[in-house]
Amino acid sequence: MLFNSIEFFIFLPIVFAIYWLIGNNRIRQQNLLIAIASYVFYGWWDWRFLFLILFSSLVDYTIGLKLESEDKPSKRKALLWVSICVNLGFLGFFKYYNFFVDSLVDSFTFFGSELSINTLNIILPVGISFYTFQTLSYTIDVYNKKLEPTKDFLAFMAFVSFFPQLVAGPIERATNLLPQFHVKREFVYKNAVDGLRQALWGLFKKVVIADNCATYANMIFNNQEDYSGSTLLMGAFFFAFQIYGDFSGYSDIAIGISRLFGFNLKRNFAFPYFSRDIAEFWRRWHISLSTWFRDYLYIPLGGSRGGTKMKVRNTFIIFIVSGFWHGANWTFVVWGALNAIYFLPLLLLNKNRVNTNLVAEGKYLPTMREVFQMATTFFITLIAWIFFRADNVTNAFVYIKDMFTTSLFTTPEILPFTILALVAFFTFIEWLGRSGEYAIEKVDFMKRPVRWCFYFLLVVLIFSFTGEQQEFIYFQF
Amino acid sequence: MKKFIKNCVLFFLLLLIVGEFVVRFTHAVSDIPRRTIDDTGIQKYFTNQTGYWKGGDHKWKINELGWPGDLPSSFDKLITIIGDSYIENFMNPNECHQGPLLKKRMSEYNFMEAGRSGVSFIEAMEISKHLDTLQPVQTLIYVNDNDFYESITEIKKMRDITQLNLEKDQIIYGEMKSPGLKKVLYNWKLLYYFYNRYPINFSNENKENEIKETELDKTLKFKNEILELFKFIKNNYETYNKTLIFHPKTNDYFIKLAKEHGFNTIVLDSSKDNKSWTFDYDSHWTCYGHEQVANQVTIGLNEYFKGKGQ
Repeated sequence: MLFNSIEFFIFLPIVFAIYWLIGNNRIRQQNLLIAIASYVFYGWWDWRFLFLILFSSLVDYTIGLKLESEDKPSKRKALLWVSICVNLGFLGFFKYYNFFVDSLVDSFTFFGSELSINTLNIILPVGISFYTFQTLSYTIDVYNKKLEPTKDFLAFMAFVSFFPQLVAGPIERATNLLPQFHVKREFVYKNAVDGLRQALWGLFKKVVIADNCATYANMIFNNQEDYSGSTLLMGAFFFAFQIYGDFSGYSDIAIGISRLFGFNLKRNFAFPYFSRDIAEFWRRWHISLSTWFRDYLYIPLGGSRGGTKMKVRNTFIIFIVSGFWHGANWTFVVWGALNAIYFLPLLLLNKNRVNTNLVAEGKYLPTMREVFQMATTFFITLIAWIFFRADNVTNAFVYIKDMFTTSLFTTPEILPFTILALVAFFTFIEWLGRSGEYAIEKVDFMKRPVRWCFYFLLVVLIFSFTGEQQEFIYFQF
Repeated sequence: MKKFIKNCVLFFLLLLIVGEFVVRFTHAVSDIPRRTIDDTGIQKYFTNQTGYWKGGDHKWKINELGWPGDLPSSFDKLITIIGDSYIENFMNPNECHQGPLLKKRMSEYNFMEAGRSGVSFIEAMEISKHLDTLQPVQTLIYVNDNDFYESITEIKKMRDITQLNLEKDQIIYGEMKSPGLKKVLYNWKLLYYFYNRYPINFSNENKENEIKETELDKTLKFKNEILELFKFIKNNYETYNKTLIFHPKTNDYFIKLAKEHGFNTIVLDSSKDNKSWTFDYDSHWTCYGHEQVANQVTIGLNEYFKGKGQ
């Protein structure tokens, strides 16, 4: 079920009404409802893969309990590896099997030998990368004794399959989300209104910004050989806003809807395109994934504590793995590696934590220096997005090569003013609201009639500019 | 919770009002003229209505006789034009209608249009029977494959369209389909906007028909029924002063039958034109398309009149 579908607009009020009618004294019943609703939500796409989530939940729940009763370090480690192997095994099979087979066959062909292994016709279960990482975080935290294992399977099921963030995150830590399934959830008017507002903003980002930018990004990327350098730059620009609107829009809707049910999810985006360097960008982009890799991969590998060699190695590992997490294609690996190259100079010069505060904090306008820094960071990010979007690495290089020609200084063949005006409006609102958790969090200073007019404007724009209903990009990851 | 629900309901109600205002102000949906069925069973429009087409670029109007477009200044040397939504042509301004376009090309004649979306071939013949009281020198009926199939109840029963029941050898006049609901839908613009944007299909009727029609195109398996239809028309209507204008790509079988049963025919051909005649988003003719049609009809009619010595 998509957030931007009619089905969801019917589904959500029904679940919301039943949830609060059950009453917050009946936590188990509420958890049961969440689990059922989440399975319906997911099964709407393909019910067969529900067994995968159920199995994954069962394995990690059981291992969590075993880890608690087991004191022997070797056995505990073995249990942890069982969880890792099962979870990453599913992920590896469904997401990467064909990629590895193809790559193996290609490398044999490169060295002049023939290898015949058939690929399989595998459907990638929606959101598998998200819930796999979420359940893994549980087992690892229990193993590290940062979290008591739950003895309530229903709560655990609801935690793994929680529908607002099941298919595209934010990837919640068990330490944050799971305890919320054990305590009474209160309906707080302010939180519910705030949740609805954030969901509305998320829907605007998805439907108005991302879907409309997608139309032009697809048009340009799919026919890249037909366009001038300036149009190719526009294509990358549209894709940058498509992916940001799409993914951060989903996160906003997920966080907003969760608040309606009395849950607090972690922030996933913090205005990344206003970053002044790439390190800041990565602290603001897909925060739940970046911190997951930081805590469960980068730090266990030694982080930045070792010598230069170790720093370089760990940085490359984390970025490449992060790229590979996005999809079974070399384009994502190159995207990750390119970001590592961007990041390394800052890390090695110890300048990766220079810009930790908010840009132009307390001011309406940034300084020229900040404008330059933001523009540069956005531009290098844009170049990296070309690899992310391209069908293959060769196409990405050709795209960049064709972009940096003299035609870069001509008027683009595709210049949709309405969409550009919408992107400008969106960026303006994001800039104004950059000190909040999300752009329109602090509209409470407006009087109600003005505030509601603003909401009406967003709703009207959502309906007026609804492009073709497109799936969220991150479903495929 | 009470306050939350109260505010949600209030927000929703206000949103409906704002939405209605925006849809009306921006002409996000087309105004739809109200229909009626006259004493003779013909579905036409209430007279003297006007409204905007989607986007508000141009207005449509219904004339004193209940048909879209302007009436001619005189009924002398009248040529009537009958057809479905292509002739009704709400999507184009008045100057792109067949009547004015043909008048420009054949100024000695006067043209009057009688178009209504969904008109079947048999219904067009019924309309022509009534317009014959105006004593036109010629009647042009614009048709495509579907107009023939939809004329026969045995092929596809359609309650809202006038059809011929071959078994009873009888005309079954179309009924107004859900008039009350339509009245609400067309007046509540926001609802109509959503209805257009997110169409709800409660039955598989259309899907079945789509498959059926594709098969029909391929096999023309209702040859006999179509032949019976033409026989019925030959026996019950005047065909000598009727010209059938066939849309491009119409099945040759219909053209052959039309000629055999006394109709003059003009077959439109868009294949030699590099520019499309139709809109990107639907199959109706653009202003350019209508101009090309008028050009070809003018040539066909001039040849026909020349042959007749008119």
